Amino acid sequence: MIKIAVYGKGGIGKSTTVSNLAAAFAEKGFTVMQIGCDPKADSTVSLLHGESMTTVLELVRSRKNDFTLEDMVKVGYQGVLCVEAGGPSPGMGCAGRGIIAALDKLKEKGAYDIYQPDVVIYDVLGDVVCGGFSMPMRGGYADKVLIITSGENMAIHAAANIAMAVENFKDRGYATLGGLILNRRNVKREEEKVQELAEDVHSTVIGSLNHSELVLDAEEMHKTVLEAFSDSEMAEEYRFLASQVAEICGLEW
Amino acid sequence: MRQVARRISTYTADVSGVCSALYELGGMVVMHDPSGCNSTYNTHDEPRWYAMDSLIFISGLAEIDAIMGNDDKLIDDVVTAAKQLSPQFVALARTPIPMLNGTDFDAIASVIERKAGIPVFYFPTNGTHSYVYGVGMALEKIADYYTGDGCEEQSDCDADGIRVNLLGVTPLDFSVTGTVESMKELLKEEGFALVSCMAMGSSLEEISQAGWADVNLVVSSVGLPAARLLQKKFGTPYVVGTPVGRFVNQIATDLRTAADTGKSIISCNARPDSVDSKIALIGESVLSGSMAAAISQVHGKAVKVICPLEAEEGLFVPGDVRASEEEELEKILKDMSVIIADPMYRPICPEDAAFYELPHEAFSGRIYRRKIPDFVKILQ
Repeated sequence: MIKIAVYGKGGIGKSTTVSNLAAAFAEKGFTVMQIGCDPKADSTVSLLHGESMTTVLELVRSRKNDFTLEDMVKVGYQGVLCVEAGGPSPGMGCAGRGIIAALDKLKEKGAYDIYQPDVVIYDVLGDVVCGGFSMPMRGGYADKVLIITSGENMAIHAAANIAMAVENFKDRGYATLGGLILNRRNVKREEEKVQELAEDVHSTVIGSLNHSELVLDAEEMHKTVLEAFSDSEMAEEYRFLASQVAEICGLEW
Repeated sequence: MRQVARRISTYTADVSGVCSALYELGGMVVMHDPSGCNSTYNTHDEPRWYAMDSLIFISGLAEIDAIMGNDDKLIDDVVTAAKQLSPQFVALARTPIPMLNGTDFDAIASVIERKAGIPVFYFPTNGTHSYVYGVGMALEKIADYYTGDGCEEQSDCDADGIRVNLLGVTPLDFSVTGTVESMKELLKEEGFALVSCMAMGSSLEEISQAGWADVNLVVSSVGLPAARLLQKKFGTPYVVGTPVGRFVNQIATDLRTAADTGKSIISCNARPDSVDSKIALIGESVLSGSMAAAISQVHGKAVKVICPLEAEEGLFVPGDVRASEEEELEKILKDMSVIIADPMYRPICPEDAAFYELPHEAFSGRIYRRKIPDFVKILQ
């Protein structure tokens, strides 16, 4: 089982990339679980054709412990096991603590033992703003952290902060930094700036994605690119990226 | 009003349970809390506080450190203290604030262990469970960590008679009024050899020999997790019951049978059903069940055990009740004619019922300590 936590600035395309990666792994025959770690609970929407799902925290709130593992999981495109941690209403409660509670509950209900996924991907909210959002990289959860960034300054700044958080946790047995994924926004010196960042954080750019209108078109259709435009170059880019992720995680592609 | 104790006390919480279980073992126990858990423990839950030294610490978690996630302060303080004081181990007990914060104690424990070079145990207490949970997991951890595959020096473990560990011994159930010494003396008189007592009066070295016992005696439900662990690790059977008064004969017989057959025995439910009984005994499951058995032997009456603490179904007989809420308890007690309980239960007992005081350190602390009996010597 490989376990990956994907971080990056809000709006950088984490959920889109993660969902397409999940679909690519699933196409290849792997059992994949995608866990959205964001109170907005929209990580898996394109795998579920726009259908909303009951979040783990909503189940805990409404039913305490009186629910099953199956209640927390919805099967999406290509059999991807979709989970949304959920969280409080905007401006209320504590979203970070919510992530901890949701992931604890998922583990307690035996999600990893019962489904035995080959690939687990945690799609984590924007930035590591508090301890709760580092939960997916804690011991027992993800093994590798991947950071998605473009060449935009704010995205690079956020990526550097995340890399710093991973570095700060190195003596705690947390996940290690697997690398950066460049999601191109076609800004000036984009490759160069992301490469500089990679060197600054002692990491590498493990893959890149071109900017494509097909990504937005697929999103409008509430589908992944791999489903909506299976034969497109963009779909191939996601498949290739999945193979690169597999390689750095030691999964035979 | 549910889940509120308006007129009665509440039981010692899990954090103090961890401290109590580890008090005599030479470790350093750190409650990660602003301060409060410490005074509750040393003022109300720990009768050995002024008579015996132990390394019990509060971290002094400050608001700003909680907000800023400054775990390094805890780590540095513990490592510094551990290097100065050279404890056998460090135990970290969680309290409500780090529980709400989601502090990653597993990671903190591994960092401290690496820096201090001694074992570090983390106990996920949160102040909402009773001492039964806290003591239970602390003794289980100690039994697991310090017992190997058996002692290398066979001669150390050789002893005349059946070898026994006493499991689940803390002042929270037995206070410091003679019961613990009497239990040990009794085992000796009955021809048993005591390997270790978890955890009063035994060193870690003695506890490390626990795997050599032929049978374990679980005298409080807090000892059950350790008993199960030792059974899994060494195949040692266990007997669940407290040697109370005349009931000691049953305990002695069951210990011999369990050692002989290798099968565990729940002794504290060897007593009449209590469905129609109007005699109530409130308290911890194993001690209360054993006392109910002793009363039944001496007076020929069935006793209804009312257990307000965490307990397993198998420890009870039909008619016993598990209830923890004040309203629920009051409702049950109104039909009773005789009640044996800690004096702090009196406000919810019917006035026309005969009330016999049986103080419990984990419920009323030191207030009635001088009235806590030596359980071995009563009900003869």
